[in-house]
Amino acid sequence: MEFDRAALENIQAAQNPDGGWPYRRGGSWTEPTVYALLAHQAARQKAPRSGAALAWLGAAQQPDGGCAPRPSVDQSTWVTALAALLPPETIGAQRHARITEWLLRQSGQESSLIFRLGALLRDGKLPAGPDQTGWPWFPGTAAWVTPTCLGILALKKCYWRRPSTQLRERIDQAQAFLLSRRCADGGWNHGSVRALGYDVGSYPETTGQALLALAGLYPVKLERSIALAQRFLREQRSSGGAAWLRLGLLAHQQTPAAAPLFPMPCRTVPDTALTLLAEAAEQGYNVFLG
Amino acid sequence: MTRRDFLIGSLAPAAALGLAGCRQAAAPRSRARVQVTRAAGYGQDIYDTMRRVLASHQLNVRGRRVVLKPNLVEFEPGSVINTHPMVVHAALEAFRELGATVAIAEGPGHRRGTLDLADAAGYFQTIPGFEDIFTDLNLDEVSRVRLARPVSQLRSLYLPHTVLAGDLLVSMPKMKTHHWAGATLSMKNLFGIVPGGVYGWPKNVLHWAGIPQSIADLHSLFPNHFAIVDGIVGMEGNGPIQGRPKAAGVLVSGDDAVAVDATCCRIMQIEPSRIQYLTLAGGLDGISEKNIEQIGEKPDSVATPFELIMELRDLRREKA
Repeated sequence: MEFDRAALENIQAAQNPDGGWPYRRGGSWTEPTVYALLAHQAARQKAPRSGAALAWLGAAQQPDGGCAPRPSVDQSTWVTALAALLPPETIGAQRHARITEWLLRQSGQESSLIFRLGALLRDGKLPAGPDQTGWPWFPGTAAWVTPTCLGILALKKCYWRRPSTQLRERIDQAQAFLLSRRCADGGWNHGSVRALGYDVGSYPETTGQALLALAGLYPVKLERSIALAQRFLREQRSSGGAAWLRLGLLAHQQTPAAAPLFPMPCRTVPDTALTLLAEAAEQGYNVFLG
Repeated sequence: MTRRDFLIGSLAPAAALGLAGCRQAAAPRSRARVQVTRAAGYGQDIYDTMRRVLASHQLNVRGRRVVLKPNLVEFEPGSVINTHPMVVHAALEAFRELGATVAIAEGPGHRRGTLDLADAAGYFQTIPGFEDIFTDLNLDEVSRVRLARPVSQLRSLYLPHTVLAGDLLVSMPKMKTHHWAGATLSMKNLFGIVPGGVYGWPKNVLHWAGIPQSIADLHSLFPNHFAIVDGIVGMEGNGPIQGRPKAAGVLVSGDDAVAVDATCCRIMQIEPSRIQYLTLAGGLDGISEKNIEQIGEKPDSVATPFELIMELRDLRREKA
């Protein structure tokens, strides 16, 4: 497989002495560390000092099983779904199982019974329930598109390894949540379709993420979403956004069509890694779906 | 007290000192001081205007670390969503001329690619060496800061070191209407210091804790931050993203954010006492005209009614 070796070397050069990766420079964070490892997986290469990287990730795991975004944060957050994307054999089966259990325990606060009853009393209408449940960025808050997409992708991998009704139901609920948050233009933003009665527009990166997380969902019609993703890709100004769009389109067997209008430098480790992951997907290996 | 909290102790005093240590020796003031300065457009004269603004506030920032915090929201070059890069560049130059070390920092609330966003908003083109002096606050190193007397349900927040370690935080928002908060000005702009890398995009913990209450809590952590509001061309209607450009032709500045934002509201012809975060943070006394010393233009002389969406029409202020 042809691969952008220089980009992979750039990622390798950014690795911190503690084994983790920074976003650009400075301390290590869970998100860039996971994406750096996934980029190596896509290149079918072992990351240099991968043992140190995995040890760093291990230290990010909290007593509740989830992962913190930074060593200075003692709270499990949305980055737990990212860690769950890594193969269990790399981070350890037991550790991976605890990560997955944490994910299964989390849901958007708006789907809780207490919140729904409160909304019923206030608005006279019962909001959507557990059949449309996504994941929050931070525990105790509402579900949003990006953490829900990452949660779906992580649980799908678990399901393919070991199918279970619990995993299937949670994936279905999260996909239903995504479909309920599709904007009028056919795409997705962070997760707010309307504000005070006004339609809110979509974002490229979240549209790509949602398409990726909805891969294989039939017979849902996503033609408008796909057409919008193609347009976004042409007008894109962020390499990270472009990578998610490419990954999302490829998940629906769509070839990214036109060349982008603007130059898009990769300014962070996740941007570089995601661009490599999109490149690998174009060559037939989508690490999110494989 | 945990080891992490102890770390805060070494950083917070600098932030808490804020302007108190940056103002030149002068008699203590009983009234907040807010300057309204006419600025017709984003031309070269903005640099001289900004120098005059800072001179009138008698800031002593020599040898201090100043953090300029603009408002970056969306990828729409030429729109009025973001703080205009020339206003930020003018402040950068003016603070440097006063002897400060100046950084620019922001953590957008919705979009991930902060540097890409800044590039699209013209910051790379306008500000030489921008990438070297810019910190993405969403991805900066963080420490937990406890709220002494929270108004919201928050008890603590992780906050970025760049802001905590600065001597003077300068909030540089765009003057905009806001469909939830009424108006987004220097205090609401502090949402951008809450790190997305921890809390996500959007920073939904602040919404769940109550938007006005969270604004008041952030203000309590940086009570003396300096404010320079870009009201040269603001946004009216369905702000802070989908509204329309509205030229007010002013920069509004001062070291009392409540008073600065109340003055901006008066210029926008919004009744400040109906903006909940202002009354939570400053009380009715803090926003009262009699307690604000206006220098430069009188707010009524530059008052420009910003159109309000139907749901916010009861915020309209009758012109004095």
